[in-house]
Formats: sequence, C-alpha cells, structure tokens
Amino acid sequence: MYHYLVRRLGRSVLALWGISTIVFGVMRLSGDPAVLLLPQEASREDVQRLRHDLGLDEPLLVQYGRFLGHAVIGNFGESLRHKEPAMQLVRDHLWATLELAIAAFGIATVVAVPIGILAAVKSHRSYDHIVMSLALIGQSAPTFWIGIMLILGFGLGLRWLPIGGRGTVWHLVLPALTLGAFAMASIARLTRSAMLDVIRLDYITTARAKGLREGWVIWRHALKNAAIPVVTIMGLQFGTLLGGAVVTETVFAWPGIGRLAIQGIYNRDYPVVQASVFVAAAFFVGINFCVDLLYTLLDPRIRYE
Amino acid sequence: MLRSCTRRWARPVTWLCAVVLVCSVPGWAAARDLVIGQGTDVSHLDPHYSTSASDVNVFFNLYDNLVLRDEQLNLTPGLATSWKLMDEKTWQFKLREGVVFHNGDPCTADDVKFSLERAIADNPRTSVYAALNTIERVEILDPLTVNLVTKSPDPLLPTRLSYYGGMIVPKQYFEKVGREGFRKAPVGTGSIKFVEWKKDERLVFEANKRYWRSPLPYDKIIYKPYPETAARIAALLAGEVDFITAVPPDQVEVIDKSGTARVEGALYAGFFSYTFNVKIPPLDNKLVRQAMHYALDRQAIVKKLWRGRGVVPNDAYPNVDKIGYDAKKSPFEFNPKKAKELLAQAGYKGEEIKLESAVGYLSNDKQLTETVAAMLQDVGINAKVQLLEYSVRAQKVRQKTIEGLLLGDPTSTLLDPDGMFWRLMQPGGLIDYWRHPEWDRLMGEARILQDQQKRDEHYKKAASIFLDEVPVLIVLQPEKTFALKKELQWKARSDEIVVVYDIKPVQ
Repeated sequence: MYHYLVRRLGRSVLALWGISTIVFGVMRLSGDPAVLLLPQEASREDVQRLRHDLGLDEPLLVQYGRFLGHAVIGNFGESLRHKEPAMQLVRDHLWATLELAIAAFGIATVVAVPIGILAAVKSHRSYDHIVMSLALIGQSAPTFWIGIMLILGFGLGLRWLPIGGRGTVWHLVLPALTLGAFAMASIARLTRSAMLDVIRLDYITTARAKGLREGWVIWRHALKNAAIPVVTIMGLQFGTLLGGAVVTETVFAWPGIGRLAIQGIYNRDYPVVQASVFVAAAFFVGINFCVDLLYTLLDPRIRYE
Repeated sequence: MLRSCTRRWARPVTWLCAVVLVCSVPGWAAARDLVIGQGTDVSHLDPHYSTSASDVNVFFNLYDNLVLRDEQLNLTPGLATSWKLMDEKTWQFKLREGVVFHNGDPCTADDVKFSLERAIADNPRTSVYAALNTIERVEILDPLTVNLVTKSPDPLLPTRLSYYGGMIVPKQYFEKVGREGFRKAPVGTGSIKFVEWKKDERLVFEANKRYWRSPLPYDKIIYKPYPETAARIAALLAGEVDFITAVPPDQVEVIDKSGTARVEGALYAGFFSYTFNVKIPPLDNKLVRQAMHYALDRQAIVKKLWRGRGVVPNDAYPNVDKIGYDAKKSPFEFNPKKAKELLAQAGYKGEEIKLESAVGYLSNDKQLTETVAAMLQDVGINAKVQLLEYSVRAQKVRQKTIEGLLLGDPTSTLLDPDGMFWRLMQPGGLIDYWRHPEWDRLMGEARILQDQQKRDEHYKKAASIFLDEVPVLIVLQPEKTFALKKELQWKARSDEIVVVYDIKPVQ
C-alpha cells in the first residue's frame, strides 16, 4: 500500500508538471500580453519597456526556468491586469467555485443515486423510461440553455430565486442546479446500469431466497457492489464540476475561478491562467487519488500491493 | 375595561398606521439603493489608466472633471466654474470654491496640476495620454486659478478636459498611500464614495453627502457584473437591478413590453465601419473601395440587424459632431449597378478580399460582417469573412497587420472631427494606412485654428476628400441602448457615459 501511495503521488506530481508546462507553452504561443495591457495609443517603446519589465524579452527557456522555480513554492507571479499576486486572486475566487461545485455535487448525488437505484429496480417500466429520458435531456442539453431556462422560470417567472451574483444560500440554488444537471444525469444513468448488472447476479437471488427484505437486499448487498463504477464517475464528475463551471459562472454572474481564468485568457494574463489551471488540475488529481483510495474501502478484493 | 383595552392598543395601532402610511407613499419616499448591471466588472479604479467603457462609466461618478457635459453633451462647469482663452496657447480655469474630496481634503489648484500632469505622463504612457497630450504645462496662479499652456493652439481643450483622462484626484492622499493604496481605496470629489469592491461580485459606493451639486437620492450605488446578456435583462425585469447597460437591439421589444422597465437609447457618437488596408491590392485601387461603398444596402442593415435603431450615415463625420458635419447631405447611396461599373473600370479580377471581425466585441459584429460580405458578393466581389478572437484583433490593430478590412467602432471622443478619424488616422495613429497630403494638411491645420468658421470650412473640405477616397468603409451609426426601471428617469447620451447624478427617481 505504501509503495502504491508513493508511486501514485509521484504520478500526480508528474501530471501537474505536465499540465503546467503545457499551459506555459500554449500561453506563450497565443499572443503578446503587452499589446493587450497597454492602451491602444501606447508607443512602440512603451510596448518594449513593458515586455522587458515582464521578462517577456528573455529566451523562452529562461522564462520557463523562472516559472518552474517560483511555481514550486506556489508563486505564480503577479496578475498583469489586476496587479495582485495571481495565487491570491485564485484563492479569492476558489471559494466561490468550491461552494458552487460542492452544492452542485451534493444535489446531483442526493437526487441521482436514489433515482438510479429506483430505475434499476423498476427497470423497463414507465418510471424507468421517464426518468431515463429526463436524464438523457440533462446530459445532452447545453449548460447554457439549462441556466437560461431556470432563470426565466424560477428567477423571472415565479420570482422565487435570485438570478445572479453571490450572497445568500438562495443565490446558490439555480447555479448549483444548472451545474449539477449533467453530473446528475450521468450519475443516475450509471447507477442504474451498475445496479442492473449486480441485481441479476446469483448472490442477489440467494439473498432473496433467504427471505431477506427487498430493501435490505438492494441496500446492503446490491448497492455496495454497484458502488465502484458509481464512485469513479462521481469522482470524475466532481473534478469536472470544478473545472467546468465556466459557463455556469458566466450565466449566473458567479465570481469563481472559471470566470477568472476565462478573463485571464482573453487578456493574456499568464500568471492568472497558470495559477487557475494549476489549482483546478491539482484538485482533479487530488480527487482521483482519493477515489482510488476509496476503492479499497468499498471492495476488499482491491489491494494496492 | 373596554377603555383600558382601547388605550392599550391605541399606541401600537397608531404606529402601525404611520408605518403603513409612510410605506404606501408612491414612488421613492425613502432613500434606497441603486443597482447597476454592467456586462463586465471594472478592471480597477485608477482614472488615468483605463479607457474601457465599464471602467469609465464608474470614473465619471467617482471623480469630477474641470468641465462636465450635460445630457445634450454641451459643456457645463464642473470643478471649474469658468474658463477663458488668455492667449493663443493659454487657457485659464477658475476653480469652484468649497469642493472637498471624499476624505475631507479641499480640492485646489495643487490637485488639478497633479492630476493633469499625471494624465500626460509619458514614462510609461498613461491610457489617457493621447487624449490630453496637447497640454504642455500646468501653472498655478493661486489656490483657485490654474493656467493650462498647450504645445500649440488648442481650441478643443475644455472639451478634452470633459472626457476621460480629465478626472481630478487628491494629490496629498495619493502621495500618502501610493498608486497601489489609491487603487485599493480611491478618493475623488464625485457623487459616489467608495465603500468596497469584491472582484467579479459587486462594487459598492455610498452617496457622497457633501457632493457640491446635491447628494444623490440613494443610500448605496452598487455596480454588479452580469456577463450574460439574457441574465442581465432577466435581472432587470425581476427587479434585482435597477439599470442595465448594453441591451442588444433584438431585446428592446421584450423589455419595453414588460411593463416594469423601458429602454433608453441614443445614437452612438461614432460609426461601425471597416478600415481598409489600402496598401494591399486590389484595395489600393480607389475605384474598388468606391465600388464597395456603393455595394452596401445600409438601410436594410439598420432595419433588419438593428431593428431600425440606428441611421444610415451621410457624411464622413457622425451627426453628433458639433462642427464639420453637414446635415444637408443625403444618406449614403446603395447602387449595385454603379458598384459593378466601378469594379469593371478598376479591372477587378475577383481577387479575394478579407473582412476581419472579432466576435462579441461589438454588438452584432459577426452578423454585420457576414451580411456585408454577402452584399459585396452580390456585386461580384470575392469577399471572405475571417472571425478573430478579441486579443488577436487587438494584436492586429497594434501591429497594423489588417489583411483586408477590419471592423471597428471609431468614436468621436470630442464630438469634433479632431477626436475621431484624425485621432486614429493621423501619421502614426492607430489605423494609419491611408495618406493624402491635402487631407493631412486640412485636418492638421483645423485642429489649431481658433476661428470656428474656418475650422468648419477646413473640415468640410477634408470630408469631400475622405468620401471620394473611401479609406474607411462607413456602414452605420447605431443606437446604443440601455434599460432601466419605470420608476427612474434618465436620458441616454451619445457618449455612452452613465452619469448616476442624472438617474433620478420619478417624483
């Protein structure tokens, strides 16, 4: 187990290094921030001066070396646009994204898992068909569209919930539903199919033959064995929720890192983009790591030796 | 018993009645907050380092200029009560007495000198440098009098000072807290006083109770970014915000029909137009450019894409310019037959012509470019649309690498020809592709003439050259639209500035 952990951690660090390097490269290829930072009327000398101040006139390898050296200690430099440490900006925006992702994930899990189980139990009956059709819509409808529909329905039509911004718990409901819709649909569909695979197995028939109550059979015997693919998809979905909140954050004016990163990309604000991608990637890698560890708890057959 | 009971309830009931009465007074009996929804959050609050619309809209309320513009964009006294020309190059400004900054410091000539010198600093250049660089030096005569000496005669100086860059900041406070400190807690003399800023969430001000005009009838003034247009409009209709900017033409009807909000618009002080790179064949041929001018059915563009909220231009200057513009000219003609003849005359052989445009940078930019390309194709021009990301566009403009025509929205910043095409197209200007010695002479001379009639004649002659040479394909002068709650009064301005002082509750 210890060796596995070390190896897995090593791979995570490697993945983070790879991602940072790719982002570093792509940002440098995609345009000069000095051009965007200065006013249109700025002189050629101003552009040169700013490029020098930002260290953009140095060889790429030197820039990369400096970037890595600083990144190791969590220093991604100062935002070119906001003139604040990039990591500080990401930290300020991270809580908003985490809050949204956790709420979306919570809603998705609480709703999707029971729905998926019920659909499996009542497979090929009308409940199953209705729920799975809804899940298909949830999975295929663009986040943007779902967001706007919820705004028009609950924000503008019924006036039950606020439309944009962050503040009270009510502000969280519509964006969390929007962001969670895709995850909810995926988890529900996967729970159903995983459960269907399991409840056809002999040991479930045995459990029923023993006279155990159906609820107990499903809960105690079937669900635990169906949980591995469900936990995997949940882990992946949570990572996606963190990184994929850009559209939801834009529609609901939610001040998260997705919007920060997008603005950073538009302004070629290297430090902000690098810091936000790094943090999002670190979360993704971290969650996957935790999911792997969860497997051992869920299924004693899995041993990492 | 009954009596004591009555007495017991009398006081609370009276209070309740009083509260109900106060609350039921129609309109805005008690002060409340004003929430403004913009498309983007501000980038910072340093008035000399940004010209972006969402930033400038806040600057004009947080700070004051020496000269202000009224709703019709006429110059009115601001921090200066009067100004006059002392000699060819010297303007004298008398400052208003008793004006104080939000921190209590008095606003004096020292602050004016400090602010204007900061605005024209050249190392590095500020964002507003080009707007005010005609100023050579600022001389203090007494605490309430300053002389502004210009490099050459500048008849437009008061107008320049009324626009971005002319904001006055407190010298003492700025020197004490430094640039970063000032950006964190900005101080001005304007109608709104900084409270807090949560980036991408909300920017909060309170009404300046010591404002020299009169305090605003609101407690707090809050700017919130709503990047998504549909959400911004829904927020207004649901009553979450009181005022929104950047309403697209196709949403005007929805808002007007809502019964709770309405749209206000004003013709934009500029054009939506395409700049030619006249150095690339076949665009170096004047006849090809003229053919493109005649190929556009501008009326259809205004009617279909802008739902009638705009006008077909008729001159080289927008109709808001106070000099040079000739209202008697007819709107630009749509004449496909003439366009084809001109192309034949030019010997055009179907060479590809690129129409470049960003997406989402201007309202309807993609649709406009696709429509213009189709109209050009109809007369036989091999027009190809090339859509660009915003930053790529910025880079192209800066490096002067337009590959054909590029869509832009030149603004007449001074409501005078000097503030638009001359600002952008003068030698070394942002879109310096086309040169014509006579046009250069006329425009260069006009800007330093103090005689208004002569300036007007110069600009009219320059316009004839411009319209014959077609260095820019002018398409339309659109309306810029905003929306606000029915309970508010406000008129949109051509310069797109939203002055909170002008947003008044309906009495």
